[in-house]
Amino acid sequence: MKIIVCIKQVPGTNEVKMDPVTNTIIREHVSAIINPFDTYAIEEAVRIKESYGAEVYGLSMGIPSAKEMLKEAVSLKIDKAMLLTDRKFAGADTLATSYALSRGVEKIGNFDLIICGKQATDGDTAQVGPSLAKQLNIPYATDISKISEIKKGLMRCMKITDDGYEEIEIKLPALITVVKEINMPRLPSIKSMKNARETEIELITFKDIDADESRLGLIGSPTQVKRTFVPVHDVNSVTLEGTAEEKAQSLAEILLSIKF
Amino acid sequence: MSNIIEMYGEYLRDESRQTGTAESIIFPKTEDEIIASVKECALTNTFITTQGARTGLAASAVPFGGHIINLSRMNNVIGARYEEEQDRFFLRVQPGVLLTEVRKYLLNKSFLTSNWDENSLNALRNMKKNEWFYSTDPTETSASIGGMVSCNASGAKSFRYGSTRDHVESLRIVLADGDVLSLKRGQTYAEYGKFELKTESGKIFYGELPKYEMPNVKKNTSGYYNRPFMDMIDLFIGSDGTLGVITEIEIELNRTQTSDWGVTIFMPSEDKALDLVRALRGEKILAHVKELKLKPSAIEFFNHNALNMLRQQQKTNPAFSSIQEIKESYHTAIFIEIEGDSDEEIWEGIEELGDIIVELGGDEDATWVANNPLSLEKLHNFRHACPECVNMQIDDIKKSDSRITKLGTDMSVPDDKLKDVMKMYNDDIEKNKLHAVIFGHVGNNHLHVNIIPRNLEEYKLGKDMFLMWAEKIAAMGGAVSAEHGVGKLKIPFLMKMFSKEEINEMRELKRIFDPEQLFNRGTIFAYWEKEGAL
Repeated sequence: MKIIVCIKQVPGTNEVKMDPVTNTIIREHVSAIINPFDTYAIEEAVRIKESYGAEVYGLSMGIPSAKEMLKEAVSLKIDKAMLLTDRKFAGADTLATSYALSRGVEKIGNFDLIICGKQATDGDTAQVGPSLAKQLNIPYATDISKISEIKKGLMRCMKITDDGYEEIEIKLPALITVVKEINMPRLPSIKSMKNARETEIELITFKDIDADESRLGLIGSPTQVKRTFVPVHDVNSVTLEGTAEEKAQSLAEILLSIKF
Repeated sequence: MSNIIEMYGEYLRDESRQTGTAESIIFPKTEDEIIASVKECALTNTFITTQGARTGLAASAVPFGGHIINLSRMNNVIGARYEEEQDRFFLRVQPGVLLTEVRKYLLNKSFLTSNWDENSLNALRNMKKNEWFYSTDPTETSASIGGMVSCNASGAKSFRYGSTRDHVESLRIVLADGDVLSLKRGQTYAEYGKFELKTESGKIFYGELPKYEMPNVKKNTSGYYNRPFMDMIDLFIGSDGTLGVITEIEIELNRTQTSDWGVTIFMPSEDKALDLVRALRGEKILAHVKELKLKPSAIEFFNHNALNMLRQQQKTNPAFSSIQEIKESYHTAIFIEIEGDSDEEIWEGIEELGDIIVELGGDEDATWVANNPLSLEKLHNFRHACPECVNMQIDDIKKSDSRITKLGTDMSVPDDKLKDVMKMYNDDIEKNKLHAVIFGHVGNNHLHVNIIPRNLEEYKLGKDMFLMWAEKIAAMGGAVSAEHGVGKLKIPFLMKMFSKEEINEMRELKRIFDPEQLFNRGTIFAYWEKEGAL
C-alpha cells in the first residue's frame, strides 16, 4: 500500500495578530508548526502502516523553510516527504493549491490512499482535501473519525455528521479527511528524531512536475482575499444598582430606550 | 464557636483533610492589622494559627483552637527591584499572593502597580513579558507564597533551581509581642551557633542554635534549619509558621530560557531506570559510558505500578484518554525537563542521552520527546495524572470507610542511598502485600510512595510502615519531610529523626521568639502544657 498525507505549515499560535495597515497576519516571532489536524492524518497513516504494512509519503506545498516541518513529520514515522516549492506556486488559493498538490501526487504515483486533516487552522476552509480528490478524479469522504477495515481494495470507515455517524465503504484509491476524534497522535522518540535529521526532504519545483502554469499560484487562483480583519467586540455591560424594584425600573427604561 | 464553624467552616481545614477548631478569625489587609491582632492575642493568651491558601498536606494551617490569622487578602505584589550589576530581579510580595498569580503576572507583565514606588516602577519598565520566572514549582499552583516559605516548598524543577529557601531574599515577620523583625539575606549571620537579632523597635533577641545536625540531602523541611554559621533568615524559612507571622517576602526570579523540552524515557526495569537517573545527574555509572553533558532541570520517576495504574485509567476513564498510549512493554518511566539557550544545544544533549539509554539496555524508540509548549503540556499532564489517579482511588475507598485517608510519603535520602531506599520500599510493600505506587522527584532521591489501602487494616499497616520507614530513612541520613513541612501530621516521623533532647532544643529555640507558644501550637512538636515538659 502507498499512502500520501497532505501536510500544511501553519503559525503555531492561537492568538493571531493582524497588521492593521496591510491586513495580513503578523508572522514575525511566531513559530511555524504542522497544522494540528494534519497530525491526526499523519498518525492514522502510520497506524495503517503498522497494521497493514504501507509506505507513507508526506506532501506539502510551501516556502523552502517548510522542509523543517516535514522533517518533524518524518520524526512522527512517515517514510518520505516531499515539498512543492517554487515562486510559481506562490499566492495560490484552495483551487490552485489542490491543483499543484495533484501534480505532486501524480509524481509520487501509484497511491492507494490520500489522507488530509479536516482543515487548516489558519485558513479554516476545509476545501483543499475534496478539491484535490476532484482534480485526481477519485472518490473522497470528509470528517472520518475511524477506519474500521481495509480489505480487497475497499476501506470501511466512520464519518462524523451533524446527527451522528455514518458508516461508509469507499473504493480505493480514495481520499479522506480526518477529524481529531480519530486517534491520539504520538510524540516523536529520540530514535525517530535522529532518523528524521538524517532523512533528506525532496524538493519539487515547477519544472519537476507536469503542470499547466496558468492553473498555478496567483494566476491560477479565481478567489482573492480582499481584506482580512479582526472582528470588533463593542458590547458594553452596565451593572444596575439599587433595590430589586429600582433595578427593575432601570432595566425597563433601558429596554424602552432601545425600543426592545 | 458554633458560629465560626457555620460561617467559616472551610477555614478549619486544609488540603491534608484534617479538621481543627477555632474561636475567631480575621482576614487582615495590612501588617498593622496583624500587629494589633497578635498583641490582643498575647494579652489574652489566645493562640494563633496562620493560614495562607490552605493547600498544605501536613496540616500546619489546621487550627488548634484559638484565633486564625488568614492572609488570603494580603495578596498583592507590592514592588520590584533589579540589580543590574549581577543581573538579578526580585519581586516584593505579600504572603497571601498565589503562585499561579505570580506566574501569570510575570508571563504577561500584568502587575497591578497603583501602589508601587518609583524604584519598583523603574525596575518594571525595563522588564519584558515572560523574561523572568519564579522557579519553585510545587504541583499545587494555588499555593500561597507565604505558605511556600513556611514549609520551604519545592517541586520538580528544584533539582536544578533549589527549593523556596534558595529564592527568598528578605522577610518581614511579626513576632509574638507584636514587634517586627526585618531580615535580608547576607546581613545577619550566626557565629559558632550564637545569634543576635534586632527588631524594628530596637529590641535584641540573643540566642543559641541547637546542636543537632541536619541531614545531608538536597530537599529537607524537617524541623528548624540549623547550621552554626547560618544566615538567620533561613531559620524562619521552613519554620511552619511557629515563630511569627510572615507579612512580606522578597523573592528572587530566574531568567526564562529560550527553549524548554521534555523527554519521557521508558526503561526495561526499575534498576536500569535508576542507573539512568544517576547518569542524568552526572554520576559516572559505568566505566565505558561517557558522562552526560545534558543538565536537566527536573528528573521525575514513575514505577511499574504507577504506569499500570495509568494504563488502567486510560481504558476506563475518559478524563485520562488524552494521555499518550503506554505500551505494555514499558516497565518504568523517567521524565526529564531540559531548558537551554537554543533547541540545537538541547538536541545535542538528547542525542547523547539516546546513546546512554542504549548502553543501559534501553530503547531510544521507547521515549516521548516534547520540543514545543503544546507537546510539553502533554508530558506534564502525564506526570500530574499520577497523583490525580491516586486521589480518585482514595476517594473511592473513603466511601466504604471514612477513616481511610491518603497515605503518601515525602521523605528524601542522600544521593548514594537511592537504590537502598527503593529496595526498602519495594521489599516492605511486597512483604506486607500492600498495593502501592511510587512516583516523584527521583533526581533529589525524593519519592512519593502512595499506599492505596483496600480496607482499614491495610491503612493501619501502611501507617505503621511509614513510621518504620521514617526511622530507617533517618538512619540513612535522610529527611522525613522533604517539601511538605512537618506540620501536625509528621510529628511522629520527626521524633524518629531526632532524639527527645534534639526536639527539646527546637522548642527552646521557639521559646526565644514565642515564650507563650502563641503561634501554630501543635505544629513541628506536640504542644507542651508545662515548662520544659515533653
